[in-house]
Amino acid sequence: MQATFWGVRGSVPAPGPEMNRYGGNTSCVELRTRTGTLLMIDVGTGAIPLGRKLMADSFGKGGGEALIFLSHAHWDHIQGFPFFAPVFVPGNKFIVHGPGRSSSMLEGILEGQMNPHFSPLYTMRNLGASIEVVAVDGMAKDPSFECAGVRIKARLNPHGATQALAYRFEEEGRALVYASDAGYPAGGPSSDVRALYHGADVLIHDCTYSPEDRAQRMARGFSSIADAAQAAVEGEVKKLVMFHYDQDYSDDVVDALGERTRRLLDELGGSKIELVAAREGLTLTV
Amino acid sequence: MKVRFWGVRGSYPVPGPDTNRYGGNTSCVEVRTDSGTHIIIDAGTGLRKLGKDMMQGSFGEGAGTSHLLVSHTHWDHIQGLPFFAPIYTRGNKFFVYARQRDDTHLRAVFASQTDSPYFPVPFDNVQADVAFRELVEGARFEIGPVKVSCTRLNHPWIAMAYRLDCDGGSVCYVTDTAPFKDILIEQEYIRQPPKPGDPLKPEDAAKLRAMRDGVVRLCEGADLVIYDTQFTPEEYAAKPHWGHSCPEDAIEISRAAGAKGVVLFHHAPERTDDQIDELLAYHRKQAPDLDLVAAAEGMELAVGNGAK
Repeated sequence: MQATFWGVRGSVPAPGPEMNRYGGNTSCVELRTRTGTLLMIDVGTGAIPLGRKLMADSFGKGGGEALIFLSHAHWDHIQGFPFFAPVFVPGNKFIVHGPGRSSSMLEGILEGQMNPHFSPLYTMRNLGASIEVVAVDGMAKDPSFECAGVRIKARLNPHGATQALAYRFEEEGRALVYASDAGYPAGGPSSDVRALYHGADVLIHDCTYSPEDRAQRMARGFSSIADAAQAAVEGEVKKLVMFHYDQDYSDDVVDALGERTRRLLDELGGSKIELVAAREGLTLTV
Repeated sequence: MKVRFWGVRGSYPVPGPDTNRYGGNTSCVEVRTDSGTHIIIDAGTGLRKLGKDMMQGSFGEGAGTSHLLVSHTHWDHIQGLPFFAPIYTRGNKFFVYARQRDDTHLRAVFASQTDSPYFPVPFDNVQADVAFRELVEGARFEIGPVKVSCTRLNHPWIAMAYRLDCDGGSVCYVTDTAPFKDILIEQEYIRQPPKPGDPLKPEDAAKLRAMRDGVVRLCEGADLVIYDTQFTPEEYAAKPHWGHSCPEDAIEISRAAGAKGVVLFHHAPERTDDQIDELLAYHRKQAPDLDLVAAAEGMELAVGNGAK
């Protein structure tokens, strides 16, 4: 598998020269399977430049197919969808997975973004591409399913007043976990979520805040770099990827958070864990 | 009056090195009168930074009053409101103005932006006093010393253009709108756009003429006209139903209205800084009779008394 980052920012896109190195677009990760199948994790504004790139291949001619996995439906994880160029090309096919009690409920949530008060598109039926919506039950007894030769498991993390799905993608014995927007209670992640993280080759983890900022904003339901380091060490993962930075954190602030996270990992006994701070354009091979 | 630009981009925010100079935030303009009346036009992501700036003054103490004029409620014109710090401080007062809806109250439209599951902070958590004022086109009213007028634009659903007169000057805000020539965009979704130049239905032609007259009247003799110039003529020809104009249209309307200054605004998201430089240079040559600028984040223009 190969993961490329198109949007690494939380809450709201943050343009400005002080964000040039890590990027100001909201969450979107491109995941390619061994055979080249496209999986997209979240569709924040990072999906817009990804869409422009895809238009140069089969998606530009209506022959593209992709699987989309949404952690949850907060704006910063879906706001790129109405501007993702391949959805306007008839013939392209998308299957959107996301949290919901039912697929029709999830479809209604995505429709809400196209509501004529807010968008000139009016409804997803106007988009052109075929869009299938599949709800993922993060509470299921066996939360795993298979898509495009990839074994996928999903579990819910608490996220403020709501919940967000964390996903584990496994192919050929390698595992990548995406856990954005995770606001753990005092005891840390649930046992189901711990099992989801365990032994992952790559853990992309919510690093919205410094520990000090998280303490001020507990109700928002995000992780600090300390929560991420703890999850990585307890999960015995090989690589931790910092992700979903606060919209006010400049490149220099993220640099400093990266150094602190390294120290935190070492202090917790995770000196063997590789650490990467996600930035737009970064590609990792799993 | 001082006019300051906080967001100049159309459609969606565009971070990245290509937008560093003009800025990547969506539409938001601040107007301060000489006597301190505070008006904001549109609430795109530029509003987040404006809000931080306002919190340094009376809004940080819960003692501020501001008036928000909204052209229309498409995402790129309202998506900054949930991140606007002054609305979470008790004591501040806001008046929000936009075109009335046939089917629901304006407050419900704005409040639903932050409904679950889309946003963690519901509109009920707003601490400031936020009152909504529903407008119809042609309305004239006063905000303190500012005379405000408005007219309807050619855009999906409903968009309003505004004119502010105060301190011996006038500024107009005309976005989002298609030109008033090839297509009448009302409330239905248009799947197949017409070809520019195709004949119009007589009733559509009459409505477009009336709309154009309204915009020319609004901009009559204005010191500054801030205009939707998202498209080049080629882009407009491909997407006339998207409801945006070109610099050529802004220049044509401003000349017809006898306006003095024109601000190219609502830049296309894919337009780089260098491309905006080129567009501006080209149109300055075409229209030496007008004072032409391209809106950039942080740019401040003085209008009326005290202007250059």
